[in-house]
Amino acid sequence: MTDNTGKIFDQVAAFQKLWMDSFTEMAGVWSQYSAGSPPVDEMRRMRGGMLKVLAETWDEYMRTPQFLEMMKASLNGALDLKRMAREGMNRVHDQFENPTKQDVDDVLLAIRHVERRVLERLEGLDERVANLNERIDDVDAGMAKHGKAIDRLEQTIKAKAEKPAATPRKATGA
Amino acid sequence: MDKETSNGADWETWQASFINETFANLRRLTAVPFLPDKMELVRKGITPREVVYEEDRLKVYRYIGESEPRFKTPLCLAFALVNRPYIMDLKEGRSIIAQYVKAGFDLYLIDWGTPTRAERFLTADDYVNGYMLNVVRYLRERTGSDKVNLLGYCMGGTLSTMFTAIHQDLVKNLVLLATGIDYSTREPLLNLWTDPRYFDVDKFVDTVGNVPAEFLQAAFLLLKPVSNLVEKYVNLAENVHRDEFVDDYLHMETWLNDNIPVPGEVYREWAKYLFQQNLLVKNRMPLGRHIVDLRKITCPLLNLMASNDHLVPCSQTEPLNDLVSSTDKEKIVWPAGHIGLAVSSKAQKELWPRAVEWLVKRTD
Repeated sequence: MTDNTGKIFDQVAAFQKLWMDSFTEMAGVWSQYSAGSPPVDEMRRMRGGMLKVLAETWDEYMRTPQFLEMMKASLNGALDLKRMAREGMNRVHDQFENPTKQDVDDVLLAIRHVERRVLERLEGLDERVANLNERIDDVDAGMAKHGKAIDRLEQTIKAKAEKPAATPRKATGA
Repeated sequence: MDKETSNGADWETWQASFINETFANLRRLTAVPFLPDKMELVRKGITPREVVYEEDRLKVYRYIGESEPRFKTPLCLAFALVNRPYIMDLKEGRSIIAQYVKAGFDLYLIDWGTPTRAERFLTADDYVNGYMLNVVRYLRERTGSDKVNLLGYCMGGTLSTMFTAIHQDLVKNLVLLATGIDYSTREPLLNLWTDPRYFDVDKFVDTVGNVPAEFLQAAFLLLKPVSNLVEKYVNLAENVHRDEFVDDYLHMETWLNDNIPVPGEVYREWAKYLFQQNLLVKNRMPLGRHIVDLRKITCPLLNLMASNDHLVPCSQTEPLNDLVSSTDKEKIVWPAGHIGLAVSSKAQKELWPRAVEWLVKRTD
């Protein structure tokens, strides 16, 4: 027996065991059947128990490497098929000089790259404008500060200039 | 003699049970023809709203309450990219939005819209640092508030967390529902299925482009096949004569079957950086020119999670509270599933008034 055959045999055995255990548990649910209770309620209870076992088995099964490998193989198969079909269609479109899906995607991607570059440049410009604004604000603040200082100085000088005039001179007696 | 009496009682119980069930079945059968009419009554959202902002496919709705909002700081809701956001305003008595609007919040909801092939190259950076940032800037301008409150659900919660980590100065409070943060856990099947040994995300996205809604729908169904493909329909058959049950069922089914495709590049980033490399908790998640560092989150945080969530279990959500720098942080574990956390009647009556109160205390 080759390794490959042995592997397949193990997988089948694991699969078989999982589901045999599940069926055994489902059969075990029926052992709790109570003939004294209303049959409809009992049937509902049995159904609930069986579905619970089935749900648990499915969950367990969908976590097994066998299921995951099978999922991978079927998804890859479907993707390969889709690719082959598309490549075939692309060749037909090429022959008739029609745009293919790939062409459309390429155009979209090119637009996307241009958009990205423009956005990056804009962001750079945005940052530079923000920096310039900040510097202008600093200059404005400095100018305002100087303006206030000049105002204060002007007021002080004016006050000093007005002060002697306001003070009455003493009579000298001459 | 005793045995005979017991047998007689058993027989009567059996007989009564069968008669009751027969009449119940008749009631069920007579209700079936009315299902299409009831289906037509299903509405996608109940609270009055208006579109206040649009960008590409995105729309921002403002929800209108009976009176003017009490709070200046707006509340912005972000939902996942895989479903429509009206689950947050599902129906009368099952609406998170209605609860916040009633409490006086100026509430806005981001509807990401349905991506077309033109959006297949959009990345998470476009959503967080593009759309979300633009929406928040717009809300600041509109309301005159410096900051916004953010509420994110599921994938929308992860986007909101990333946004807050990068733009903390714009977020006042962060509320998260069933938000995936730590993807190291193998508890949910999705985390196992996206394992790089079994799932080649590059090949997948390169081939399909935008991830089709049908693919996502099938994956969600498969997470709980017995519940989604058997139990659900058995329950419907048994309760088809109960108006309240049917109304809830039809609203939920309408929403569950209303999947939308996910932009291919976002899916690639999500699968690779989060599901496979778990970069968010390592503070190494790249987002355009930024690296998301959860330690930069300092605002008050309310983290809501569901103990029976098969999609985003508590082990995936809980670690966030230890990863942020916020001092005011709280988590609530609620006994519900991923959707029940938002819409179950118990959550609506007991959890959401608490969550609303939490935000009221922290909002101007």
